[in-house]
Amino acid sequence: MALSPQTTSSGFLLPSIHSAPPFFTQQPNQATQAIVTDHWTRLILSYARHRRLFTVRLDDAQASGNDWDEVFRNTRINRRLLPSHLAYILDDMVATNKAVYDPPKQSNSAILYWRTPDEWAEVLYDWAETTGQLNTILTFYDIIEPSVPSQLSGIPLALLRKAIATLGKSNRAQLITIADGEGVRFLAQSGK
Amino acid sequence: MHRLGGVGLAAFERQQQSQKSFAELSSALSQAQVDHLHSQLTQFRNALVRFASTHRDSIRRDPRFRHEFQRMCATIGVDPLAGPRKGGWWAEMLNLGDWNYELGVQIVDVCVSTRERNGGLIEMSELVRVVSKLRGVAGGVVTEDDVIRSIKSLKPLGAGYEVLDVGNGKKMVRSVPKELDEDQAVVLAIAQEEGGRVSEELLTGRRRWTPERARAALENMLLRDGLCWLDEQDEHGVAYWVPSAMRWDE
Repeated sequence: MALSPQTTSSGFLLPSIHSAPPFFTQQPNQATQAIVTDHWTRLILSYARHRRLFTVRLDDAQASGNDWDEVFRNTRINRRLLPSHLAYILDDMVATNKAVYDPPKQSNSAILYWRTPDEWAEVLYDWAETTGQLNTILTFYDIIEPSVPSQLSGIPLALLRKAIATLGKSNRAQLITIADGEGVRFLAQSGK
Repeated sequence: MHRLGGVGLAAFERQQQSQKSFAELSSALSQAQVDHLHSQLTQFRNALVRFASTHRDSIRRDPRFRHEFQRMCATIGVDPLAGPRKGGWWAEMLNLGDWNYELGVQIVDVCVSTRERNGGLIEMSELVRVVSKLRGVAGGVVTEDDVIRSIKSLKPLGAGYEVLDVGNGKKMVRSVPKELDEDQAVVLAIAQEEGGRVSEELLTGRRRWTPERARAALENMLLRDGLCWLDEQDEHGVAYWVPSAMRWDE
């Protein structure tokens, strides 16, 4: 049996290691598990990017019928990633700043950093600039569910806040309290 | 009375005289032999040099020819890797030294880059395949022989690269300085036959091992050496997988 990359129905190319049965078992040898964790981390992040999935939950590994089926399960070899193993991987991802638990103080769901908050800040500012919305006051809702779908459609609030905070540090955005909550104003950069 | 050799001081001196003459003759003879051997060696060396330089291109290009040349050298007891200069005769006469070293570097490259996956143990044919891919040459241009020779030339570096025979004509290259015991060699051989998968049942059934022996060998490879991976979702309970015996299509 040769282990080869497989293309899923959503068009994602699974690496050949996804066809290896022991890949789905948490390894008792720490050095080996480090390799497994590394491969899972890369797989989870690239799949999330491919499907634009912002979050993952331990439940996604528990029951089938969710966005993660193609990755957390391999029906050809009848293997699946167990929630306990996913929990271990997520812990490692959070520790290495590739994900963050959201909401905080629990470990059942996490935001995946297939783009870091700093990278999202750039995307956000570019979007505001190219859509001609500098100096306008925008609600968070305007950004998360824009009338014209953008890269930011569906971005979790916690991640959006981090991106805005980053822009705030370089004086490119300003949080504003408005009638029905909070909003943001993007500022044109001086000298540009 | 006259005795052969006589007695007395004169006879003693005569005897000493003849012993000395014999000794002189003997050393002259051995000197002649040594000289003769030297001239033969020089002649042989010249012949080999002539042969090597005449067929240099073929030796460099044609793996079969290279192999035959190597074998000829081995039969007559010449090690082409040994020699007065760095790199030995290969380097001196064929400019093959660089080729060997280059191959050596690529072997190290492949071994190191696949180490995390296979625990520092790679199957020979897989190594040859990846090295060929790295060089961008078709299969068969780099042979097992070349790899073995290259690994030999890496020895002075003390990197601990070694070619292991795991039976059934299969060879593996070990790039980490770990000793493999006999039981592990058996496990590796079975893994080779099974596409990477080994289990206690396979070892007890096929090799008549006791379950304790099988478990100990597998656990050692899993926990101590990191040479195999655990699979808890196997249809028969628990299985162990040896990544270096699995076939990976990139």
